[in-house]
Amino acid sequence: MFIAQGISTMSAKQASVHAKWIIGRVIGTKMLKTAKVRVTRLVLDPYLLKYYNKRKTYFAHDAIQQCTMGDVVLLKALPEPRSKHVKHELVEIVYKVGRVVDPFTGLKVEGTQFLEPFADLADDLDKKMSLSDKIPEVDSSASSSTASSLEPRTP
Amino acid sequence: MPMKGRFPIRRTLEYLQKGDLIFKNRVKIMTVNYNTSGELSEGARKFVFFNIPQIQYNNPWVQVVMFKNMTPSSFLKFYLDGGEQVLVDVEGKDHQLITQHVKKILCKSEEVLHVEALAKMQESNPANFGPKKYCLKECICEVEGQVPCPGTTPLPKEFTGKYRTQMAAAQE
Repeated sequence: MFIAQGISTMSAKQASVHAKWIIGRVIGTKMLKTAKVRVTRLVLDPYLLKYYNKRKTYFAHDAIQQCTMGDVVLLKALPEPRSKHVKHELVEIVYKVGRVVDPFTGLKVEGTQFLEPFADLADDLDKKMSLSDKIPEVDSSASSSTASSLEPRTP
Repeated sequence: MPMKGRFPIRRTLEYLQKGDLIFKNRVKIMTVNYNTSGELSEGARKFVFFNIPQIQYNNPWVQVVMFKNMTPSSFLKFYLDGGEQVLVDVEGKDHQLITQHVKKILCKSEEVLHVEALAKMQESNPANFGPKKYCLKECICEVEGQVPCPGTTPLPKEFTGKYRTQMAAAQE
């Protein structure tokens, strides 16, 4: 009896899990060099046909223990499971809790407010003062309207 | 019975299937950062309200995450396989503009979708019979209008092999 044995061809190292890249929020850091991460995925309710968040916890290897509770992190699947539960590793902290950075301006941000002022705002004010010195006939109403347009936008 | 809620059409299968944003295989995670108030985020809010269910329905293996009120600006961020990240500014844009932009940069084109649909059709060829995993039907007896399976109803005497051999032997 000839039993054919199938050999799985692995061109590149296959990860051990289905989820290769995931984003989640850190909910526990009490384990040594391991972060407990809660990942939410949208799942369709079959009757209501509406999407709801479904949570799942993953454990991620964090060698330098740089995570704190509440960070939003990006995880990558390890080629082999590190232990019975740890199958992912931390790639980067996307949003550090309390120190979220706006990706466009690079300034620290809290909710809908900027914590740091714009870098070019002071320069603009100086320029405006020099202009008003140079052109004394400029209407006070016109200068006040230009000043209001340069204020940082606050929704 | 009427449908409940605002815009209940969003909760119909037909609406979900009509979404035309089908991401390339490299896209793994989609993140939407938006604000719950403010005019600049209006487009992003509409995008989340109308288009996210369609996106998730057509891309079941992409993780879609929403973040509210984290930054004053609203944006989309895509995480591709291989560590690449794509940042899309969405402030002040209309939700239809956003979908068009995303479709242009990160979705499968019409030709690719056509080719994939053709390949799928070839796989499910009704002329092939075999295991359920690969073919539509396992035996021709399952097709309507064909001779039914002798396991369920016995064949007429004339169709059986032993009757035919008997007749052939009697003739000789």
